[in-house]
Amino acid sequence: MLLVPCLLLHDSMYYYILDPGKMSLPKFEQVQVELQGLLHEFNISGEFARITTLRTVADLVDVAAARGASTVIVCGNDDTLNQVLAAVGQRDFLIGFIPLDPQSSYLATILGLPNLLTSVKTIAARRIVTIDTATINQLSFISFLEFGVTSNNFSQTGPWKTFQLLSKSATKWTLKIDNSYTLTIQGLGGLVLNSRSTSSKQEKIANPTDGFLDVLVMEEIGKLDIFKYKELIAQGRLEELPNPTIIKCKTVELLEPRGSVVTMFGRAVAKFPAVVSMTGKKQRMIVGKQRTF
Amino acid sequence: MEKQQDSDAANAETVVGPSVKIQGDLNSEGNIRIEGQVNGKVKTTQNVFVGQSAKITADVLAGNATVSGEIVGNIKVTGNLILQTTAKVSGDISCAILRVEDGAVFTGKCSMGTMADKTKHAPEPEPEN
Repeated sequence: MLLVPCLLLHDSMYYYILDPGKMSLPKFEQVQVELQGLLHEFNISGEFARITTLRTVADLVDVAAARGASTVIVCGNDDTLNQVLAAVGQRDFLIGFIPLDPQSSYLATILGLPNLLTSVKTIAARRIVTIDTATINQLSFISFLEFGVTSNNFSQTGPWKTFQLLSKSATKWTLKIDNSYTLTIQGLGGLVLNSRSTSSKQEKIANPTDGFLDVLVMEEIGKLDIFKYKELIAQGRLEELPNPTIIKCKTVELLEPRGSVVTMFGRAVAKFPAVVSMTGKKQRMIVGKQRTF
Repeated sequence: MEKQQDSDAANAETVVGPSVKIQGDLNSEGNIRIEGQVNGKVKTTQNVFVGQSAKITADVLAGNATVSGEIVGNIKVTGNLILQTTAKVSGDISCAILRVEDGAVFTGKCSMGTMADKTKHAPEPEPEN
């Protein structure tokens, strides 16, 4: 069993939460050694704590608060960061992120952290941006949610599967916006964006500092146009498709069809009906130069 | 000005697609482009673009409006109102500047002029002695 050192160094400002996730033990050990070397090199060492079955994310965030840490650095995957955001609640931590497997992390792309070295440099540089946080059924997030066909990762689906998915007939979706109006649309699916992993010509969309969510819904597309637009759909740039629907709001209730799955990075997080809303909390985060917003 | 409005329409913050039906009040702080159906009030301080396929059964309040579709309801804009060739408006309109293109259909009352004009022409209050 790997023992993670729990050191309270002279500079206890940084509290590192380590989550191996589904990473194999040898790979995790290798990444951890590399990480510790880099942290030492940039003189940003701190206290380390590893998530285990007995020490949950929430427990470790409580420990960080009890120790008086002002900065929590999440070393893990996208799920780990989302769990930390949920556990932080209204407490005022500065949060940093070091993705242990940046290639499989959407949040790494959003926050501009393409590799371990850049992530550590970013933490050392402390470029701080306040980011909106949103919730769906008590799960906090800074990224985006998908429903309908957009839950599929089109960058990895083959031509036949892509054709099958995008040539489906449209579903009737019902959403309630800001408790003010009900929107029904015949569409294939959509996104609820706080931020996203691609930049777009439309800078106003998916800006996690504007205090709004953006709901994008895609209508049916002609069978001949499927491959023309596959790339845009894979990147979540639905506003560039023909006949887009774009709604800026603070709250969206996903009402019908009941039972439809809502995913985050392809993983189910809720089912219709569900409420997605801005929390009103601005989370201070350390971000990289190459962030998407 | 028209080019600017085209650009605003393309970059509208709220876009209601052709297959969308909205029931209730659509409020926005930015530009709105509507291609679908709206039953309820449409309100923004910025620009509203009502596309050819749009059908609005509601009052529209906006900074400027360009209409190519159908509106059954009153339109109140503080700036320019443009009724394009395919526009069909049934209701009263109030605006500062109105342009009606050939083929547009408008049934209702029209009042024009800015608040500034109104105050300019209003009688001066008598000085108190």
